[in-house]
Amino acid sequence: MNLSLEHLTFSYFEDAKPVVEDFSALFSSEEVTVLTGASGCGKSTLLMLASGLYPGNGGFLRTGSVTIDGEDPGSLPPEKRCRLVSMMFQNPDLQFCMDTVRNELIFTLENLQTPPERFEEEMERALDFCGISHLKHRMLQSLSGGEKQKVMLSCLVLIRPRWLLLDEPFANIDNESARDIVLALKRLHKTEGTGILAVDHRLDNWVEVADTLRVMEQKTLLPEKLSPGHLDVSFLEEHGIIVPGSPYPVPEYLKTPAERGEEEPLLTLKDLTVSYGEHRVLKGLHATFLPGHIYALTGPSGSGKSTLFQALLGTVKYKGSIAPKKGSRMGFVTQNPQDQFLADTVKEEISASLKGVEDADAETERVLRGISLWRYRDLSPYLLSQGQQRRLGVAALMAYHCDILVCDEPTYAQDRNNTLAIMTALCSLAREQNIALIFSTHDPELARSFADEVLVLEEGQL
Amino acid sequence: MRQFLRGLNPSCKFVSLMVVTLTLAFVHDPAVNAIVFLVSLLLTLCSGADLKRVLLLYLPILLVAAGAFMTGYRYSTNGDLPSNLTSVLVSDTRIGNGLIFATRVLVYASIGFLFAFTTDRIQLVRSFEKQLHLPQLFAYGLLAAWGIFPQMMQEYRRTRAAFKARGLRVLPFSPAVLKPLLVKSVRWSEALAVAMESKGFDGHGERSSYEAPTVRTVDKVMLVLLCLVFPVVVVLLTRVF
Repeated sequence: MNLSLEHLTFSYFEDAKPVVEDFSALFSSEEVTVLTGASGCGKSTLLMLASGLYPGNGGFLRTGSVTIDGEDPGSLPPEKRCRLVSMMFQNPDLQFCMDTVRNELIFTLENLQTPPERFEEEMERALDFCGISHLKHRMLQSLSGGEKQKVMLSCLVLIRPRWLLLDEPFANIDNESARDIVLALKRLHKTEGTGILAVDHRLDNWVEVADTLRVMEQKTLLPEKLSPGHLDVSFLEEHGIIVPGSPYPVPEYLKTPAERGEEEPLLTLKDLTVSYGEHRVLKGLHATFLPGHIYALTGPSGSGKSTLFQALLGTVKYKGSIAPKKGSRMGFVTQNPQDQFLADTVKEEISASLKGVEDADAETERVLRGISLWRYRDLSPYLLSQGQQRRLGVAALMAYHCDILVCDEPTYAQDRNNTLAIMTALCSLAREQNIALIFSTHDPELARSFADEVLVLEEGQL
Repeated sequence: MRQFLRGLNPSCKFVSLMVVTLTLAFVHDPAVNAIVFLVSLLLTLCSGADLKRVLLLYLPILLVAAGAFMTGYRYSTNGDLPSNLTSVLVSDTRIGNGLIFATRVLVYASIGFLFAFTTDRIQLVRSFEKQLHLPQLFAYGLLAAWGIFPQMMQEYRRTRAAFKARGLRVLPFSPAVLKPLLVKSVRWSEALAVAMESKGFDGHGERSSYEAPTVRTVDKVMLVLLCLVFPVVVVLLTRVF
């Protein structure tokens, strides 16, 4: 059974440039296929088209058609369409409409018009398949990102679609959960014959289970079919793809901090403890951060990385002490750049960071030209592409003079070239302006390549 | 008692309590208000609600009730009130008038709390869909919106933190903070709608039904007691005295 995309040309607005242009491809359900490519090349849009959710839910399909076994998913009602093709999305928080895992499964089964006497049996089967029977009565809100994605997968197991499309399903979950999900997907593929097409920047999770790797570039699909077992590193890096285990080329001048002898730490954490009710998330952390040094913070999901950042930001209550050096300022780059936008236009976004600076207008122009966004200066930051938003977010914080810069997953969902550009910019800033840079990441290579010190947070302890 | 209160059909409970509320709107008798208030409070506490939480919720209500009492006391109609139970107990009409105002605040709040503490939101919306024929699209849209509310609060804190992180001070709930939140809400709603559709939700089509709330005899008895017996008894009582 094949998923066939023929001459697709699609744009989000009637008069806008197409996001996908004359795209044709044929994917076989006998293979687990991973589609990768640089940020903003149209991969996610393509998946939405293939699942029949576009153009019904937005955008304009100018030419082309999608067919699965001769059926156009876009022309089917949702109840029939989901059995033909269904999707798993990037953001685990925006996939559920009920309160508990059980209620969400019931919601799915009701949509499928399953006879009531089969509900319990079906739910047990799906939960067991994903290894999450113990989560059945849990509130969805209390689950980690990885657990939420497993719940989503169990909903898909209930649906038993003929094709399953995944849009960066592991973008924000820990490696262990990602591995569990990938193995469950492989089982689904083998036992049910479900065709699997996944879009992902990071290939490390797929190496073990994918059969074919395809690369998208400039809105079209490259003809090369790669085998994940034998990756052509130079080919992939040339197309902006992060290759598992391949270190990042860090410029020599960024490799080591300047020697300045004994220095006073810019930030000291002493016995930092954060609890949510009875549950202690951070358990007495001790750490010091020196000027001009780069620190990577890694650890599985739920280990307390976000909580540590929230404590630094002052948005959660904590015990112990967070002591920045007197007079020092702390800046934050958030995981989702949209979280830090506060102005109406791109230009104002930068100038907001330059309040009180002499010649702020000229400086704003310099910064925006530096990140190639000057021509978009009068647009709303929300209208930029994801990669552009990320560049703007980092630049806005870089324009704001601070002594400690905390970055929560600054390269989240970015391709290799953007990752390199962002990290080089941040690290240069840290070295040149003697800033203590603390960044979190799920990518062990990124941590090893750029940081002077890798801090591993596990079960609330460093 | 907890099981009993939570097991009542949410739509029937909603209609019954609405009728009680409306009946009390036409009755100017602090004693009736006080009795209903005490019964509601007792039932709320019997439903397993956290005592501390209930008391904390009543704190602002008590303040409003005190304010309402003073309003009623100050702007009394001096003898023009309908004759009622209170006139036997309280001879001063100014105090009586104040008490009507204050107990009304308390009784409305207590009925609201009783409903909130003894009703599961999912069951409520599903019951509205089944018994009151609320359109599916609206019912499940409401549930989805409910689900992202905690996330919105978190986003609000995050957005405020983003301003702070750039050395900008903003007042709570200032438009500058709410604007990014609004943009995100629109995007979230789109993402949620697509995710629901991807799970086969149509909004109009046929769906099977599992563990949906039904109307049992006990619910019918409650409807008769609160929608018929209660208004009649209250009207008769207040007329007699």
